[in-house]
Amino acid sequence: MLAFCGFEIFREYYICERGLILELLLLLLAIFIPLAGALICLIFKNEVLRKITVLLSSAGLAGVAIALAYLLSQHGGSFVFYSEDFPAFLPWVLKIADIALLITLLGIGFKLKKPFVIFLTAVQFIGQIYLEFFSGYKEVAGDILFKLDFLSLVMILVVSIVGPLIVIFALGYMPEHEKHQHMKKSRQPRFFFILLLFLSAMNALVTINDLSWMYFLWEITTLCSFLLISHDKSEISIKNATRALWMNSIGGVAFVSANIIFSKLGTLQISELITDKGLISPLFYIAVAFLCFAGFTKAAQFPFQSWLLGAMVAPTPVSALLHSSTMVKAGVYLIVRFAPAITGTVLGDWVSLVGGFTFVAAAAIAISQRDAKRVLAYSTISNLGLIICCAGIGNWLATTAAILLIMFHAISKGLLFLCVGTIEHGIGSRNIEDMQGLFKRMPFTTTVAVIGMISMLLPPFGVLLTKWMAMESAVNQPILLLVIALGSAFTVAFWAKWLGIILTMSYKKHYNTETIKKSVEFSLAALLTGVLLLAIGLVPLFDYLVKPYLLSINSKVGVPVNEILIIMLFVILLMLVFFILRFSSKFKSKNLRAPYMCGENTEDIRGIEFMGPAESKDEVVVHNYYLDGVFGEGRLTVLTSIISASGILIMFGVVVEKWLIS
Amino acid sequence: MAYFLAQGNVFFEMLLVIIFIIVAPILGGLISGFDRVITARMQGRQGPPLLQPFYDFIKLLGKERITLNQTQAVFILGYLFFAISGFVMLVMGLDLLMLVFVLAFSAVSFILGAMSLRSPFSKIGGQREILQLLSYEPVLIIMAFGVYKVTGSFAITEIFVYGKPLIFSLPLVFFAFLYVLTIKLRKSPFDFSTSHHGHQELVKGITTEFSGPQLALIELTHWYEIVLLMGLIAHFCVKPFWVGILLAVGAYFLEIVIDNISARVTWKWMLKATAILGVGVATINIVWLYVAK
Repeated sequence: MLAFCGFEIFREYYICERGLILELLLLLLAIFIPLAGALICLIFKNEVLRKITVLLSSAGLAGVAIALAYLLSQHGGSFVFYSEDFPAFLPWVLKIADIALLITLLGIGFKLKKPFVIFLTAVQFIGQIYLEFFSGYKEVAGDILFKLDFLSLVMILVVSIVGPLIVIFALGYMPEHEKHQHMKKSRQPRFFFILLLFLSAMNALVTINDLSWMYFLWEITTLCSFLLISHDKSEISIKNATRALWMNSIGGVAFVSANIIFSKLGTLQISELITDKGLISPLFYIAVAFLCFAGFTKAAQFPFQSWLLGAMVAPTPVSALLHSSTMVKAGVYLIVRFAPAITGTVLGDWVSLVGGFTFVAAAAIAISQRDAKRVLAYSTISNLGLIICCAGIGNWLATTAAILLIMFHAISKGLLFLCVGTIEHGIGSRNIEDMQGLFKRMPFTTTVAVIGMISMLLPPFGVLLTKWMAMESAVNQPILLLVIALGSAFTVAFWAKWLGIILTMSYKKHYNTETIKKSVEFSLAALLTGVLLLAIGLVPLFDYLVKPYLLSINSKVGVPVNEILIIMLFVILLMLVFFILRFSSKFKSKNLRAPYMCGENTEDIRGIEFMGPAESKDEVVVHNYYLDGVFGEGRLTVLTSIISASGILIMFGVVVEKWLIS
Repeated sequence: MAYFLAQGNVFFEMLLVIIFIIVAPILGGLISGFDRVITARMQGRQGPPLLQPFYDFIKLLGKERITLNQTQAVFILGYLFFAISGFVMLVMGLDLLMLVFVLAFSAVSFILGAMSLRSPFSKIGGQREILQLLSYEPVLIIMAFGVYKVTGSFAITEIFVYGKPLIFSLPLVFFAFLYVLTIKLRKSPFDFSTSHHGHQELVKGITTEFSGPQLALIELTHWYEIVLLMGLIAHFCVKPFWVGILLAVGAYFLEIVIDNISARVTWKWMLKATAILGVGVATINIVWLYVAK
């Protein structure tokens, strides 16, 4: 069937004389390589074959993404593939697939016995049936099915390079995970099937130009995330997966609503919706508000943050994938994509406020978290908030910040999740407090984790520079300024606390050599290399990826960062690395002393024990401050969710009122 | 200071920057010496000679190189390097917002140094310094925004182009900055992390486990910080520049007075007070600039 489809598409395409055959082939490969890999993993349950498949499709996917990047930078602008060049039965494929997907979701709803899920899915079902069969909306000649521009390219690079690395990591991680879970029958075929399917759907989602197709892919990612979160089949994982499902189904309803309104306005073509000024009307903004809302749910903005936090129960590769290159990035992609349509409008202001508020709220709550994965999760939510905030502001610098942050965040966060997963298997805990002296036990993973965290925090790594750009672009909105200033300070605080713990060590002559699996080591090393490369390549990244996109949406373009500054900061960093190496090689143990303990030291020089009452040896325990009284999750979650929900309501209120009075 | 660099060739600029890097700690040490003399007089003591900080510095350099692990010295170097680069940014008139960030990293490096040791006192000192950072950081960022709002740029050189005293447009931001200066300089009532005076419970807080040359470097960094912060204050009035310098002198004197007349508060009190006196007050200033334009 697939091969037939592929052949059919090619035959049709060959006849038309638009050229771009290689480009189309690559684009389809980007979608079908992971899909084929997924099917092979599902059908042939052989472990060796699975490994080979994953490795080959990963390499293939990365190669395709890089080839596309090369071709697009040669070509400039965008590659456009028209609907009429594809087989005529394709819309029917979509309709059938859509219905099948919604029926699957309905089935899940019934199986879970969750009326709310059933209700939301039913609403989508009705809306979708109406849209496809009764609304009278039809594709017209000149419709574009795929459009690959530089924003899509950035997303493809993220999905196809970071994503596969996480899947490779899972090759080494999952057997161990199943051992920890005492699973009798391996469920890895299904697991890898969904992981690869997810990548396929993402690659299609970021290149598709038709909103009805995008909705289908959007729902596929929802389904995939449900299946992945519930993978362990424990009570808690099913509960959290259900929450993810219903929250994202709300987003799905919003998406369908937007599509229906757009179809009334005459087009579901993204390229037209964001450029055609003739479409602008109060109703148009309502539809865009719905889309942004769908983006909020998928990107886990407050008050929808809890599904992403709940997703932590899934195996680590799932968290890593959801947080870095898929799922949540689909949400922010949609909003960044529509940013040109809302910039400078009241809707844009409110989108940036909701995002900005999530940025500060998530960072504040992160201060009170002890669980490493939850800290990462809140940090993700916070960064997504900043991306959305930038998209709402929408000037060239903000857009630059948003796009760069998508990349930097994906790679750093992917890396950090994989590190935490490895640490968890190594020490049997993911409580930050248990990570003292980790360097001695897991030197490799700890080093990688530290660099990952530093990349989220310090210059000249990109995340900080994007924050700087965000601030510079928010300078005309005092409320945004305030939330970004606070959020930025909170961010520094929670990273510094964790870094402080993980860097804690007392002197020891010899380190353990860590035993970790090859695939885990490879993924960590590759992502680490990526983090460092991105840091060095900030300026070229801007010049070759972001700038062409800005030009294509007719935005102003300037110079985002001062290069002298970056070089200076790099020099400092290199000097510090030099001193680390020098100090550790020239270390003299005669200078070593025990820490100050008011004279109650034992003979232990490391400072792990002290003399307690009655000559007993007690362990020294010093915890971090978590400031529960100020930033506690219980204290802030309800409050911040209410504020954020009000912000979203106001956003809708503003656009709906304009429509009603017009 | 960017005033001196407004014209001139690259070589001349580099030379000036190097001179500034050498002169700054001397100035900072002198300020520190004055601080101690004045503090002593306020307490009715004779006090040390003016050059005592330099004597201390030299003495510390000659001490044994004691250490708890092999990394702690690196963090102190990070503290120093980032502080110097912040200072260079000020001298060269670069981006004010980035300067604020760089200062934060200098502080973070120090915190990490203290926290990387298995020492209860040093660890708690580090935690407390995080709280201090949490308090002053937003205000410094808002200050940078205020400057942008007035001059239209984050570049410090633009302050000179603008010419008029910033303090006219940013009085409340200036006040908030003075307020967080006490926190940044770790002076009483906000000296949680260092507990400078002999009678405190945390021995020497964040610096407990640093001695000899490492402590000397911490002192050196502190001098850079003082000059940098005073330089920032002076930028609130660049023409005529002596008014700015007077502002800085007055501000430091005020810090000494506050240091001597107040007792340490609790960290919760600090966070709450900063939310109002720092962030709140500075934001009001920004909002009125926004409304005025």
